[in-house]
Amino acid sequence: MALTVLRGGHIVDPATGQNAIGDVWFENGRIVERPDGRSADEEIDVSGHIVMAGAIDIHSHIAGGNVNTARLLLPELHRAIRARLAGTPLSTAKWSSYEIGRLYAQMGFTTVVEPAMAPHHALQTHLEFNDVPIIDKGALTVLGNDDFLLGMLRDGEKDSAINDYVALTVENTRSLGLKCINPGGVEAFKDNMRAFGLDDVVPFYGLTSRQIFQALQKATQAVGVAHPLHLHMNNLGLAGNIDTALATIDAAQGLPLHLAHVQFYAYGKEGKNGFSSAGALFAEKINANPNVSVDVGQVMFSDTVTISSDVLKQFNSLPGAIPKKGAIFDGDANGGGIVPYVYKISSYYNAVQWAAGLELFLLIENPEQVFFTTDHPNGGPFTTYPELFALLMSADLRAQYLSRLPADVLEHTTLPSISREYTLYEIAQMSRSGAAKLFGFVDRGRLGAGAVADIAVYKPGRDVAGMFRRAAYVFKDGNLIVRDGEVSHYTRGKTLHIRPRYDRQITGRLDSYYDDLYGLPRSIFDVPDAALPHKDAFAEVPCRI
Amino acid sequence: MGTATLDGKAIALDDAYRHAAKILNAAAFPLIAGLGADIAGARAAILLAERLKGAFDHLASREMLADLDVKRSFGMFTTTANEARIRSDCVVLIGPGLTQAWPGMLERLALDRTPCRGAQAEQPRKVIWVGPEGEEARAVPGAKIIPASAHELCGVLAAWRARLGGRPVAFDAEKVSRIDGFVETLRSARFGVFVWSASTLDPLAIEMMQGLVIDLNATTRFTGVHIGARSGASGVTQAAGWMTGFPPRTGFGRGYPEHDPWRFEASRLVDSGEADAALWISAFDGEKPSWSRADIPLVTLAPAQAAPSRGLFIEVGQPGVTHDAVLMSQETGGMTLRKASAPTDAPSVAQAIDSIMAEVSEGAWR
Repeated sequence: MALTVLRGGHIVDPATGQNAIGDVWFENGRIVERPDGRSADEEIDVSGHIVMAGAIDIHSHIAGGNVNTARLLLPELHRAIRARLAGTPLSTAKWSSYEIGRLYAQMGFTTVVEPAMAPHHALQTHLEFNDVPIIDKGALTVLGNDDFLLGMLRDGEKDSAINDYVALTVENTRSLGLKCINPGGVEAFKDNMRAFGLDDVVPFYGLTSRQIFQALQKATQAVGVAHPLHLHMNNLGLAGNIDTALATIDAAQGLPLHLAHVQFYAYGKEGKNGFSSAGALFAEKINANPNVSVDVGQVMFSDTVTISSDVLKQFNSLPGAIPKKGAIFDGDANGGGIVPYVYKISSYYNAVQWAAGLELFLLIENPEQVFFTTDHPNGGPFTTYPELFALLMSADLRAQYLSRLPADVLEHTTLPSISREYTLYEIAQMSRSGAAKLFGFVDRGRLGAGAVADIAVYKPGRDVAGMFRRAAYVFKDGNLIVRDGEVSHYTRGKTLHIRPRYDRQITGRLDSYYDDLYGLPRSIFDVPDAALPHKDAFAEVPCRI
Repeated sequence: MGTATLDGKAIALDDAYRHAAKILNAAAFPLIAGLGADIAGARAAILLAERLKGAFDHLASREMLADLDVKRSFGMFTTTANEARIRSDCVVLIGPGLTQAWPGMLERLALDRTPCRGAQAEQPRKVIWVGPEGEEARAVPGAKIIPASAHELCGVLAAWRARLGGRPVAFDAEKVSRIDGFVETLRSARFGVFVWSASTLDPLAIEMMQGLVIDLNATTRFTGVHIGARSGASGVTQAAGWMTGFPPRTGFGRGYPEHDPWRFEASRLVDSGEADAALWISAFDGEKPSWSRADIPLVTLAPAQAAPSRGLFIEVGQPGVTHDAVLMSQETGGMTLRKASAPTDAPSVAQAIDSIMAEVSEGAWR
């Protein structure tokens, strides 16, 4: 592939510390140092533009059985309206896997992580990934409500056995690490518990949520997964759940822990509605605990659908569904609940949620500790990221929104008093360098020599959201994919995964477990290469150890 | 290599692919129907329908949509066969022919065993079968049988739902007492499961059963296991979902997918003349199209024994039998790779369609 130089752009690349006018060179899909004695085969003048590495979304529900159930549940939510361009089949089929790839690429995103892959449904997630063009994908495997793990913990088995099971499950499901969703709470719901806190006991197993997530947190570290345990805590969405969040951080014992969509846990009980933002208190706690990273799950006012493997929570949400329907799936372990919802700016509760999320963004000091998700589509679709970036970068814009919220909301959030505005450098820390570090990626999220040539070039203007929505140029592995905000053709991205080491003795034990309990060969749940349409679908990312 | 025929006479495979492309290219609104295929075949077929700006439907869409229409208009609770097997202390089978729709059902659900997870572990499992066919319920020793014709099923469920809600029903005291006994069995279950197949249950009965599930979940846990429709319908629906956002009965006439269960129903499209060419895919068992017109230009992809005497026929292998295939598994409720049990070199649906696709240009797209 030709030696290419992007000439004269404003390079914003926290991983290499660059924040100045300069050139970016790449060849054969990789960033290179400026070669001595050679001139570029192709030169693109990007003066007046911002040049960043391709962005990484660390938590977005883009694939898998639960996402697909949401598509089929809500045909009215995604009617298509325009024909596609040549060379991009199904790219305007709304909410299709093809459209997901196109829309992310247009915003300059080149890697996206699906955070909830059920071990027994991993193959479908990978089949859907295969049909997401352009971008690279990865997934987190969900454990923590699965009978085998809970049985081992109940029986007081050695850490080494738990580590082997965790590592094997990550390897077999071909993921980037572990997610834990309402640990024990989903299992408890099958035993008819309707609420489940950090120290409630799972019937039949006699374990608390605290014990389960701590065990998985330790195992994740022990087997060398770079990404800390990705935890969806108990009591999501409930007034006063800030107590759960603070107690969970204390329970982390200083070990690395990633807390998912924390906005949904930033609630106090103040005010006449008994619902207030605890964003400031939460942010203070996160600032004091550098072992903890978070993504926000920002609420953006829109018609959307909540998709979660926290079946207990989703069951409890059904009465508030808009429109009034939903799907509740008691899976082999977690399962899923799909409940449509509308976030309204005129709703006191939704406005508090919106404000709490922004408080978290603006009061957490280290941009590499907080990530910009909307928990797509749970707080709003990923296509609202450009508006979210604009809100973070402009106190004026936030003030305009605040003037439209129900007046009593302002008494229960500190947002009006916050003047901080994110810089482009901080946006890049959150969406590029920090996101790469969080997953142990050394070849992306950066523009240093050797990195993949995933590059986003933006044309700054008064409309900050517009700049992020339609990148001027996007290169994926060095290929020019987007020009003036339009995808010109598809390329095939990779699915990133890790292979932690473990003692393979565990496989025989698991085979017997599946035979005895389910009467099924364990291999029925495998993700073999032969099941996927393309042989080179995967790319391995090294483990931490 | 597979074989191909044109109006019953053998033709070379390459010529057959070219001819198929010619038929489909020449049509103003081609239809891809049957869709009895594995995931790879469904992907290829849907991509071809999109490129042709045609429509696609599945041969078991009526059954598939009976379940999906309840889900998307009302909502649905489901679980896996695994959870039913290890956890359920009450299993209610609804309707006739379940063991035909799912031959492995009894073995998979292990109804003769006790549950082994949850507070109900090792407690006896209660089994009720409403409206079984002939002797099929005999295979479940100890099952309580409620005889009911297909038309009466919804009424049985409605009476249960009424009594669960404490409402009166217009039956004599003895029958009401019997109904109340069944309702008490449901109410006292800790993890109950309905099992049904939309091939014998109409959408109103499915909705009534799901309404009962919602009412039961007010105090205990209850859910359902549905038996997927024939010829890979569940898997094809999943692939259609992620590829287009919609299930089968979707058209691309405007250059983007539109889903309409009436407009894009295959037989109606053919019989009304709206579709002017058809690709019929039935790789599992060679099931024939249900439309009545015989004059539509037709390309058939099916196993050798199902070669039609009219139109263009291209032999394909059987998914999971003659070639490895990814299919939705009724045992797990998830996708799985089935290894070929009797491999041959007949092309898969995906291979055949890819060969046709190679002759279809993107010409119509800007």
